[in-house]
Amino acid sequence: MVEHNLGDEHAPTIEEIEGVADYEVQLESLNQWQIAWRRFKRHRLAVIGSVLFIGMCLVAILGPVIFPYNFLDIKKPDVLVFAGRPPSWVSGDFSPFLLMGETARFQRDVFTLVINGARLSLIIGVGSTVISVVIGALWGGIAGYFGGILDSVMMRIVDSLLAVPILFLILVFSRFLGRGSWVTVLLIFGFFGWLGIARLVRSLFLSLREEQFVDAARAVGVSDQRIIIRHILPNALSPIIVSATLGVAGVIVSEAFVSFLGFGVDPNTPTWGNILSNSLEFVNQGNWWWAFFPGLAIVITVLGINFMGDGLRDALDPRSRA
Amino acid sequence: MTIESTYGSRPARVGPPPSDVLLEVRGLRTYFKVLDGTVKAVDGVDFSVKRGGRLAIVGESGSGKSVTALTIMRLIDQPPGQIVAGEVWFDGRDLLTLPISELRKIRGGEIAMIFQEPMTSLNPVLTIGDQIMEAVLLHQDVAKSGARDIAIRSLTDVGIPAPERRVAQYPHELSGGMRQRVMIAMALSCNPKLLIADEPTTALDVTIQRQILELIKEIQDRTGTGLLLITHDLGVVAETVEDVVVMYAGRVVEQGTVEEVLLGARHPYTRGLLNSIPSKGKRGHRLAPIRGTVPNPFRMPPGCTFEPRCPYAWERCVQEEPALIRLGSGGASRCWIHDPSSRARLDGYDHDTEVLPT
Amino acid sequence: MIRFIIRRSLETIPVLFITSFMIYGILLIAPGGPEARFALNPRITQAQIEAFRHRWGLDQPIPIQYCRWLGACNPDGQGLGIFISNSGVPNFLPAFIGGGDNGVLHGDLGFSIRDGRPVTVAIGDRIIPTLILAGTAYVIWVTVAFLSGIIAAVRRYGWFDSFLTVFSYIGFSLPTFWLGLMLLTVFAAQLKILPAGGMWTTRDVPIFGSAEYWAFAGAKPLTAIIDLARHLILPVFTLVVVSIAGDSRFVRAAMIDSLNQDYVRTARAKGVAERSVIIKHALRNALLPIITNIGLEIPFLFTGAIVTETIFSWPGMGRGFIEATTAFDYPVLMGILVVTALLVVLANLVADVLYAVVDPRITYG
Repeated sequence: MVEHNLGDEHAPTIEEIEGVADYEVQLESLNQWQIAWRRFKRHRLAVIGSVLFIGMCLVAILGPVIFPYNFLDIKKPDVLVFAGRPPSWVSGDFSPFLLMGETARFQRDVFTLVINGARLSLIIGVGSTVISVVIGALWGGIAGYFGGILDSVMMRIVDSLLAVPILFLILVFSRFLGRGSWVTVLLIFGFFGWLGIARLVRSLFLSLREEQFVDAARAVGVSDQRIIIRHILPNALSPIIVSATLGVAGVIVSEAFVSFLGFGVDPNTPTWGNILSNSLEFVNQGNWWWAFFPGLAIVITVLGINFMGDGLRDALDPRSRA
Repeated sequence: MTIESTYGSRPARVGPPPSDVLLEVRGLRTYFKVLDGTVKAVDGVDFSVKRGGRLAIVGESGSGKSVTALTIMRLIDQPPGQIVAGEVWFDGRDLLTLPISELRKIRGGEIAMIFQEPMTSLNPVLTIGDQIMEAVLLHQDVAKSGARDIAIRSLTDVGIPAPERRVAQYPHELSGGMRQRVMIAMALSCNPKLLIADEPTTALDVTIQRQILELIKEIQDRTGTGLLLITHDLGVVAETVEDVVVMYAGRVVEQGTVEEVLLGARHPYTRGLLNSIPSKGKRGHRLAPIRGTVPNPFRMPPGCTFEPRCPYAWERCVQEEPALIRLGSGGASRCWIHDPSSRARLDGYDHDTEVLPT
Repeated sequence: MIRFIIRRSLETIPVLFITSFMIYGILLIAPGGPEARFALNPRITQAQIEAFRHRWGLDQPIPIQYCRWLGACNPDGQGLGIFISNSGVPNFLPAFIGGGDNGVLHGDLGFSIRDGRPVTVAIGDRIIPTLILAGTAYVIWVTVAFLSGIIAAVRRYGWFDSFLTVFSYIGFSLPTFWLGLMLLTVFAAQLKILPAGGMWTTRDVPIFGSAEYWAFAGAKPLTAIIDLARHLILPVFTLVVVSIAGDSRFVRAAMIDSLNQDYVRTARAKGVAERSVIIKHALRNALLPIITNIGLEIPFLFTGAIVTETIFSWPGMGRGFIEATTAFDYPVLMGILVVTALLVVLANLVADVLYAVVDPRITYG
């Protein structure tokens, strides 16, 4: 090969190379979170989902203030409509304006019930997921990082617990910890929801610990604990976040189901689930709105969360080319 | 050799090229529509390969060389990508206008392609034999047992020991170098007229690289297959091919024989590439990389795409995109410095260079 | 291959043990118990309650209760003799060589505290309806999810893909029981074209599973089948919608992933016809994660069955589970849980084996 020598006086210096005003190259240094945020914003569905979810949260916070629900406040029953009046836009009767109709028996306004139910349903959903994520990430992280027998034992426990239907555990433990309190329900979901996350985190850690940056950190003498927390965990955060988001949706639905079966929060404090469970016996008699609207609220919230979760997944995935 | 050019040379050709030309690409443009805009990955490329000839397309990442190769076979995913313009004449037919059923016969049968990543280019759940036989059964009129024999023979041809055993093995049981050999075997099993090799050695160890290159050359000599080699490695180019096309930002910037391009280095980009290669003769001197970086595909410079990084650029380069100029010494270069009106500058250019013995 | 199966099977045994022990322990720790229903009845004396507890062995420490239930302890034994059977041999050994005849290890699941029937009968009655419901749902769900996911992946961005995406999002967000309720309202209560629950029309058809039923089915098979089908439609639909919504997206994602792989490009470069590319190259590889996923979904089938059976009054194991939990009927509960756990473990095993069969990179043994 023949070379051409431009001579030293023409060789660009480092400063020159760096200082070159390239046309349009903008070196904006963005960290992964900023990149993710930008991509998230562009994702139409994710934005819609976030709006829905945040909207629901606002309803949960402000709703009970604007439309307070008093369990003890029972109107004198209107004997003629014991089965509860349907929504105004169905019956055509706007004189009591009923957006979502009335319940049977105590003739409570379904709209008020749903608004108030939002609060507990969302608190239980978010709160228990936080607990699950913390426990699950710790458990799975330790198992995945250290591997070996510790990993085997820890994961066998997880597998065994997973083979037990969660429903069973919830039903039994709800007796255990005192029926009916929302704190109980929250704790139960939190302490049993960590299994899936543990599995996920464990497999993440298992593969991440083979990465070279871990070797590099070890070579410099970083302690195991620090490696787990400051090196591996930030890399594993993305799937965990996505999983947590979808977990909230799962708990909201599960809480509803458990209340529906009669094992959840006691009906004095409404959640979407126990509103539904109270409505059961009357649904077949024609009072569909009592069950429809709380369920609709759940669907909207969960839909919003799912959109958000999808958007998060696309935004945080370094390989996706959105 | 070159079709597009303006300075008093032949007019652009219409219709199929003469029969000694195996592959002729004219005015190829492939664009990709993405969220941020349109990427003109290939923006007007022409070159040709003679029967049994060997051409290399050289360029850095993002120059569009791989996309060119994929476009020839119409292997571009047509949402995001789109073959916007051009003709690809192969053996007297324009591949870009062929119905897909005809094209499939040519793929694998007359034009074969091997890719950069041997680790992922083979299907992990099918045996090696299965995959080679698939190609054979598609393009040759043989029974299954005959196909198996051909597969075994191809494996022998590429120097894989114990081919009867290999045929039943799965890709994950082979090393990277072996897998690349299998890819070559698969490609050649149907005696194609043209072999397109997209960075065949980039993912391999240096020692294996050499072996694979030797293998490709040897097979080529033996069978007379044409070779279109895509690479960024100038060393590989020097040893394997006769003709070179240098690409930058989707366009051809220099063309010629290996001697013309590598020894002559008429285009500043080529010159920069060659200068940046470390070697014995440069010991004691500072390495001279090409300053700057490849332009942002969404905001290309208005004139010459290389201008921001070119040490010889002047106002004309900023304003006007240069045409591909045929050079008296052979080949072509897309730079105003070769324009007859820039003769003064050209003299300065020549004096800037010193030819050092290797 | 056989070694692999045996090895995996052996690995599941400790899991089964741990699981059953955990369940048993949890049950017994929880306050309340089968005798709780007597607590409110003033006519039942404490002595009677004690006798009841002794009769059912509820006054023993938990590990011993578990041991007895398992079949490793002799209920007639005292002190350390509980480990020895009446014939003087370790109790856990099979009966025909002198071991005990009680407990799970010997096939005895005990008796229902609620109604005294053997647990095996109580469960047996319930298992077939659940299998019919879950089985039908599973077949439909897997088939539809599989096909729609593949079509959506191959014709990406087409109308089917968009439709499927919308459907998946909505379907995935629907709580199963709410969906079931709403369907009931619409089809049964309002439109009255489908039955409101149950597995057979009580007026016209004898109790399912009984001798009279089979006689009826033999005599009028078409009526029997149509009747069953009419009762199946709504519960199966409820079960299936949510599952398809989730799985079809997964199949689609797996297929798209596979279609983006390099070896698909190689296949096309060889001139392989598009159909073969999709089926022989992309699908074969996409099957791996799909099979794992489908295998893992099986437990959810049972959970889902609980919901559906409750709403649609389907006389299956799910309903039985709820009833047993409410009554703290330990033996039945344990029986159901063991059977479910066994089925889940089996399903996982089948999934693992299938995976090993399909992916040659997995070595056996």
